[in-house]
Amino acid sequence: MTSPAVEQNFLAAAQADAFPGPSASLSPAAVGLSPSQLVGLFESQVLSRQLDLHSRRMQARGESFYTIGSAGHEGNAAVAAALRVTDPAFLHYRSGAFFVQRARQLAGSTPTWDLLLSFAASSEDPIAGGRHKVFGSKALTVPPQTSTIASHLPKAVGAAFSLGLSKRLGTTGDWPGDSVVLCSFGDASFNHSTAQGALNTAAWTAYQGTPLPLIFVCEDNGIGISVPTPAGWIAAAASQRPGLHYLAADGLDLLDCYRAATAAVQIARRQKQPVFLHLACVRLLGHAGSDAQQSYLSPRQIAADEARDPLLYSAGLLRAHDILSCMQIRDLYESTGSRVAAAAAVAVRRPKLTTAAQIMRSIVPPPRTLAARGDVDLPIDDGQPKTMARLLNHALDRILMRYPQCFVAGEDVGRKGGVYGVTQRLQSKHGAHRVIDTLLDEQSILGLGIGAAQNGLLPIVEIQFLAYLHNAEDQLRGEAATLPFFSQGQFANPLVVRIAGLGYQKGFGGHFHNDNAIAVLRDIPGLLVACPANGADAVGLLQESLRLAAEEQRVVVVLEPIALYHQKDLRMADDGGWLHADPGPGARIAVGDFAQQGEGQDLAIISYANGYYLSCQAAPQLAADGVGLRLIDLRWLTAIDHDRLYESVKDCRRVLIVDECRRSGSLSEELMANLLERGLPSARLTAADSFIPLGVAATSTLPSVAQILERARSLLADGS
Amino acid sequence: MSRDRIVVVCPGRGTYNQPEWGYLARHHANKSALLQTFDDYRVAQRQPGLRELDAQTPYALKIHSRGDHASALIYACAYADFLDIDRERFEVVAVTGKSMGWYIALAAAGALAPLEALRLINSMGRLMQESLLGGQLLYSLVDADWRALPGERERVLELAHAIDATADAAVFLSIELGGMLVFGGNEHGLRQLSAALPPRDRFPMRLFNHAAFHTPLQEPVRAQARAVLADLVMARPDLPLIDGRGQLWSPYSTDPAELWDYTLGHQLVEPYDFSQALRVALHEFAPDRIVVLGPGTTLGGAVAQLLIEQTWFDLASKADFVARQAADPVLLAMGMEAQRGLLQS
Repeated sequence: MTSPAVEQNFLAAAQADAFPGPSASLSPAAVGLSPSQLVGLFESQVLSRQLDLHSRRMQARGESFYTIGSAGHEGNAAVAAALRVTDPAFLHYRSGAFFVQRARQLAGSTPTWDLLLSFAASSEDPIAGGRHKVFGSKALTVPPQTSTIASHLPKAVGAAFSLGLSKRLGTTGDWPGDSVVLCSFGDASFNHSTAQGALNTAAWTAYQGTPLPLIFVCEDNGIGISVPTPAGWIAAAASQRPGLHYLAADGLDLLDCYRAATAAVQIARRQKQPVFLHLACVRLLGHAGSDAQQSYLSPRQIAADEARDPLLYSAGLLRAHDILSCMQIRDLYESTGSRVAAAAAVAVRRPKLTTAAQIMRSIVPPPRTLAARGDVDLPIDDGQPKTMARLLNHALDRILMRYPQCFVAGEDVGRKGGVYGVTQRLQSKHGAHRVIDTLLDEQSILGLGIGAAQNGLLPIVEIQFLAYLHNAEDQLRGEAATLPFFSQGQFANPLVVRIAGLGYQKGFGGHFHNDNAIAVLRDIPGLLVACPANGADAVGLLQESLRLAAEEQRVVVVLEPIALYHQKDLRMADDGGWLHADPGPGARIAVGDFAQQGEGQDLAIISYANGYYLSCQAAPQLAADGVGLRLIDLRWLTAIDHDRLYESVKDCRRVLIVDECRRSGSLSEELMANLLERGLPSARLTAADSFIPLGVAATSTLPSVAQILERARSLLADGS
Repeated sequence: MSRDRIVVVCPGRGTYNQPEWGYLARHHANKSALLQTFDDYRVAQRQPGLRELDAQTPYALKIHSRGDHASALIYACAYADFLDIDRERFEVVAVTGKSMGWYIALAAAGALAPLEALRLINSMGRLMQESLLGGQLLYSLVDADWRALPGERERVLELAHAIDATADAAVFLSIELGGMLVFGGNEHGLRQLSAALPPRDRFPMRLFNHAAFHTPLQEPVRAQARAVLADLVMARPDLPLIDGRGQLWSPYSTDPAELWDYTLGHQLVEPYDFSQALRVALHEFAPDRIVVLGPGTTLGGAVAQLLIEQTWFDLASKADFVARQAADPVLLAMGMEAQRGLLQS
């Protein structure tokens, strides 16, 4: 295979001693680098480059699969050098030199081998085990990111926030308290709303004086695949943000990069303020191996970029400061290439993932030891039946008392106590640092939870309304749920997400406050969704969710039906039929444990949340019809044990599924399919495929008691 | 013709025994100029010359295994062996060593001039011999086929830790050695550990005339060494070096002051992870073969066990290793006559 132009350029420059001179008048000593350290940075750059080149050679032989590279961005080695190995780094996909440089800082690291295994998708790849090409390492404090659109930025903000919070909570986080968090991204993904949200949240946080030791590194190569970034756009858009320091450096100049990076680290570490570090880079070798950049860039543009290769400039520095000879530079480059080639030849022969079971082994992270405190004096309940909202409030209070690492965060959860009062008085009792009023940005709220969870904290974050989850759900899908998968469980972000949702709010209505679309939560591998119908179960589910996060590192969503928060009655006004006694701190409802009421064999109704409540309302009338009824409340909407469910209803003459979510994409589809696969046909009553309107029409598209009765009677009337 | 890419492994203490006695005379009579400078240095230190010791009859464990003699003898043999490698056919891609082998590796890689390496090794051997702080014990963690016994490593380390916590006992991990562990400690601690470890083959084995190298018990030696050898002249190596943490020292970016600091600091009082050094050698350099310098061949077992641990060269057991060695050896020990011949010009 012919060597690419960048390689030919480099070797020709070495031959002719014609490396470009330094662009700035900095000296290694002036920025605090010894000659040896500067050579070390150059070695990291060269190794990263050689890995990129070999990745493409491997791909050409069918031995590598994902060749998006770091060529042109190797200046980020200097950023790594300015940080500690223990500083959490959320890296984008052009971070080869950063990763290699960080590995140099931990004796015994094997970055060449580790990255080659990753390229080769070997099951021995120490981070993802062959599941993805990522930059990640537990030992190097680099949680793997697969994001190509800066969706890892919100969690970086959360991680940085957790450093100060951890100290205030008096807990020892996983990371040293004086850490600096770093996240990197490109100039194209800078424009993504997720990135903008994270930048805004960081600025909003710092603007009010809250510590946030965070560095955003924007590696600006001026082009996003084929779309150029307007000249000067990043500086114009990032340099004037309140609360955010802005530093810029020439990414082709190691000394300038190191100068700016050390300044950024100093601000972040000492002042605990966020910094936007803007590195001017160049993209070499195209966007990825499959990208034919000649289709949208002229040969002259490509050649101009290639002339701006940071390796040429680094070699120029070494020559200008008389640190290495041209022969040494060439030898360093070629010997690095030889060893990468030799290691690649071995790496491609290492084992691969072959079975679904192997691949799926890391969807669920391993358990850990984080037990609730048993030595706290919990408030004594008065034994009176209460609403779901009140019982949830009590459970949250107990959880905050029993888990010192736990905090609650969301819009209006603090001073106001939540829009439905579920978190009332928690802030005054536990403090504003444990019951946190966030800004209005769901991606940032989830990012806070995800980032803080990685530092050993136990977040309960609240999404105020289900409809607001949808703009942010990728934080759960693409980020939180995938972390154990792409790290073989070495990293996890256990957290509980409380979401108020579903329909039936009286006298209110409207789509955004009554959203009943939950399909986005149910197809995420590893994610668990609990959904209570009554207050006692709400306590059991929430407490189990906390335990699952604390002890099994799971990500759990508790979907709370708004309409039942304050519901007191079941059949008539003031009957108190939907008030429940607090089941106490020990109550827990295990995943898949559904509730059954009645042993009748005529009709089984399977439902959850409001649908279950309505079914309970219909029950007396069906009983009056002489129907032997069995009611099942699923309580968990994922990881359903369909065999057990089938066993529980198979002796019933008819099975009716009452699902308050839409006909299309609702749980009813999964339930019907699974029962049918086991030979048991069922019927279903669902919401219409509609959004929820306002006022009296708010429930018109949703299942009602009358519809349940009608459907049940017609089913039973069918003699077949 | 492309050269075989080799990683060179330098041996540590305990490799010059009765079978190796006469090694310098047998293999390195052609290097009299070098050996003369070594002997001159020794004599100036009022120590017996190395060739004299090598030739002295009869071999006496008490004399030849003394730290101040054995260290220098092993160095002379190993360094001379290194010079015998045919560099026309073999490209040395990295150099590493086990324990005292680190000092030899420094010389082989060119970070220390030959005589300066002797000064380091001789001084350290003498300091160790004079203080003789504690001892060492060797134990195996692998089965007869050189495969790791599940959970054994954790059990043994836990046991050592528990003994260390008892009164008057000091036991520390000293060397990670392929399928073996070396512990360093005081007499009381090592005796307890020896009694507590289930006998397996020749193990647990006490190492005669060894001190508790690479443990905190060496703190006084560390302090003395830093003073005595403050002027030790180190340079950037010519070849990549891998130390007892698995850290890579490159010919271009090594800071000699840091190399000095590690050599007369960390590695003296912290565990020497020879296993990780070898893993790094395999993973980062993917050599065609491993060469263990003489004298002796005992380090070959540890290297082979590590190859098996890594299923490197497709070796998954001792049987695989033996078969591969017979067909096309991947591990060449210069202390073995036949394999030595393969490496020399």
